[in-house]
Amino acid sequence: MSETVVEVRDLSKYYPPDVKAVDGISFTIGAGQIFSMLGPNGAGKTTTVEILEGLRNPTSGEVMIFGQNILKDYSKLRKRVGILPQNFEPFDLLKPWEAIQYWTQLYDIRITKKEINRALERVGLFERRNIHSKKLSGGEKRKLGIALSLVNNPELLFLDEPTTGLDPKGRRDLWALINEIKEKGTTVFLTTHYLDEAERLADDVSIMHKGKIIAEGSPDNLVEKYGKATIVVLEGAGSSGLQKLKEKGIDAHLDDADERDVLVPVRKHSEMKSMMCTLASSDINMADIYTRRETLEDVFLNLVGSKMEDGVLKE
Amino acid sequence: MNRIISDTINFGKQYMRSRIGMFFALVFPVLIILVFGAIFMGGGTSKITLHAQNLDEGSQGDAFLNALNSTTLFDIVEIPSNESIEQYINNNSLTVAIFIPKNFTFDIGEHLLFNEPGTVDIIIYGDPSKSTYGTVIGAAEAVAEGMNFRLIGKIPIINTVPININPGDDGETQFNYIDFYLPGIVGFTVMTNSLFAMTSTCAEYRQRNYYKLLATTNIKKWEWLVSKFIFYTLLLWLALVLTYFVGRAVFDMQAQLTPIAFVIIAVGAFTFTAMGMLVGIVVKDPEGASAIANAIGFPMMFLSGTFFPLEMMPDYLQIVAGVMPLTYLNNGLRDTMVYFNDGNALINLAIVFIIGIVFFILASKFMSWKEK
Repeated sequence: MSETVVEVRDLSKYYPPDVKAVDGISFTIGAGQIFSMLGPNGAGKTTTVEILEGLRNPTSGEVMIFGQNILKDYSKLRKRVGILPQNFEPFDLLKPWEAIQYWTQLYDIRITKKEINRALERVGLFERRNIHSKKLSGGEKRKLGIALSLVNNPELLFLDEPTTGLDPKGRRDLWALINEIKEKGTTVFLTTHYLDEAERLADDVSIMHKGKIIAEGSPDNLVEKYGKATIVVLEGAGSSGLQKLKEKGIDAHLDDADERDVLVPVRKHSEMKSMMCTLASSDINMADIYTRRETLEDVFLNLVGSKMEDGVLKE
Repeated sequence: MNRIISDTINFGKQYMRSRIGMFFALVFPVLIILVFGAIFMGGGTSKITLHAQNLDEGSQGDAFLNALNSTTLFDIVEIPSNESIEQYINNNSLTVAIFIPKNFTFDIGEHLLFNEPGTVDIIIYGDPSKSTYGTVIGAAEAVAEGMNFRLIGKIPIINTVPININPGDDGETQFNYIDFYLPGIVGFTVMTNSLFAMTSTCAEYRQRNYYKLLATTNIKKWEWLVSKFIFYTLLLWLALVLTYFVGRAVFDMQAQLTPIAFVIIAVGAFTFTAMGMLVGIVVKDPEGASAIANAIGFPMMFLSGTFFPLEMMPDYLQIVAGVMPLTYLNNGLRDTMVYFNDGNALINLAIVFIIGIVFFILASKFMSWKEK
C-alpha cells in the first residue's frame, strides 16, 4: 500500500438555506496515483477540490494532506501543491516564458532561462514561448496552466476539469501530458465529467452525484462491481436489425454513439452461449459480431439512472 | 519585496501592452491638453469684444482706443463714463476691460513739457485664467509702445497696468487658461487610470480565477495591493511629466512641476487604486465594473472642478464636491502648480491621504481571494 497523500473524512459543505454541495464524503489518495473525481456539473467536484486546495472552508469534516490538517495551516503545504483551476485562462498579454518566470517569482523561486525553456518544452510550448498568451489555442492555454501549476515541482497536483471545452486532439495531448506527470511520481487529483477520461487516466475513481460519493474504486473494479452485463455488439445491424431482435423478444438497443450498431446486454455469463447462437442464426445483416465488457459510462448509467453528456445529465 | 517587484513588473507589462491602458494613461491626457489648449488659447478669427471706459478729456485716450481698434482684434464697446468700472465689470461678468483715466492727455503733456519721471497708466482689468486677458494686454502694450515712439522717441510715457480681477492669482506670473486646466487634467488622469482600471482588473481577476491562482502562491494580499499602487504611481508620474511638457512646449504654460505635485499624484494613485479595489469587491464581471466605475467616476469628474470651477456650481453641488476625493486632488495640484501655495496643497494632500487610508483598510478587509 502506497503512502497516503490525501485523506478526507466526512467532509461537508453546506450553503444556506439548504444546499448540500458536499455531503459527508470520505476518500483517500495514495502517493503517485491519478485519482479522478467523476460527476456531472453541480455534483460537488469543484467545491471538494477547492476545499482541498485551501480556497474554500468546509462546513465540517477533516482533510489531511501529507499528514497535515489543511484547516490549521495551509501555508506549509503551498510549496508541495500545484493547482490548475477550472476554466483556466492565462494572463492574455504575457508571453508563456514571462508567465512562467512571473509565477516562479511569486513562489520565491529563482529560475534561469534554461529552466523556463525546459518547463515550456515539458508541456510542448517551447516553440510558442514568445507570443502573447491570448493567441494560444484552448489546448495550449491549458498546457500553459499546467506548466504554471508545475513551477514549484509539486508532489500533489490538482487539475480541475482540465480538458473541458477542448477538441479531441487537445484532450488527447493533455492526457499524454498528465500521464507523463504521473510517471515522474506526482500524485494527481483530477476532476472531470468525461467518463472516458477517467477510465483512461485514473488509477482510482470516485463517482460523485448530488454531493455524495456513490461509488469508488479502480475503473476495472467499478465495472466489475456495478456493471450489469456483457455487451454483444452487432456491428452495422442498424434499426432494421434492432426491429428484428425486438420481434423475437430480445432486449437490445442502438449504440448512442453512431446509431449503427445494435447492443445486446447479456446479464448472466451462463446465457452467453445460447444468446450468441440465437443472434448468429437470426436473419440480420451485420458487418461483424463481438462482445465487449461494460465501460464506466455504463456503470454511471446503472448507478445514476441517466447518461451524462458534457457534464449534463440527460433525462 | 521580490514578489512586489515581480508583480509590479508583470502587471505593468500587461497594462502597457494593452492599447486601452496606454491610451488612457499617456495619450488621452495629452490629447485633452492639446484640444482644450487649442480651444481656449485662441487661434480663431473672431474678434474679442473689449469693453473700454475712456474718461480722458483730451485726444490721446481716443487715439489709444482707435489704435487698438485698428489692430482688428477687438470690437470696442464703450462703458458709460458715469458708471464705476468695477461695478460694470461685475454686473456684466466681464473677463477683461480697459480703463483710460480722466487726465490721460493732460498727464502725457505734463511729462513731455517738464520731462517728469514715471509713466501715465492705462488700466487693464482682467482674469488671468482667460485667454482674452493675455490678448488684450499684448495688444495694449504694443499700441502703447507705438504711441511712445510717436510722442518722444524711445522714452516710454504711456504704460499699461494689468489689474487681476481673479482673487486666486498673485498677478506676478502671466497664467493662461491652460495653466489652470492642467491640474484638472492630471487629477482626472489619476482618477481614470487608478479607479477605472483597478475596478475592471479586480472583476477580471475574479472572473478568470486569478485570485484563486494568486492565493495558491506566496504573494500576500497587501503585497498585491502595494504593487498596483507602485505601478500606477510611476505611470501617472510619467503622464504628468509628459502632459506638462507638451503643454509647456505648445502653449507656453507657466504652471510649475513641483515636488509636492509628485507626492499628490502618488497619494492620489494610492487613494483611487484602493477605491477601485473596494468597488471591484462588489463587481462580478468586467462589464459591470466598467458601468459602476463610470457611474462613480464621471459625476466625480464634473463635480470636482476638473473642467469647471467649483464656484460656478450651485451650493448643493458644491457640498457634494466637498466629499469627493478628486476635488481635493485637483485643488492640491492647483495650489502647488499654479498658486504656489504649498500650505494649502499639503492640507488637500492630507485629506486625499486620509480618504485613501480608509479605502485601503476597507479594501484589505473585504477583498477575499478565496470563495466563501
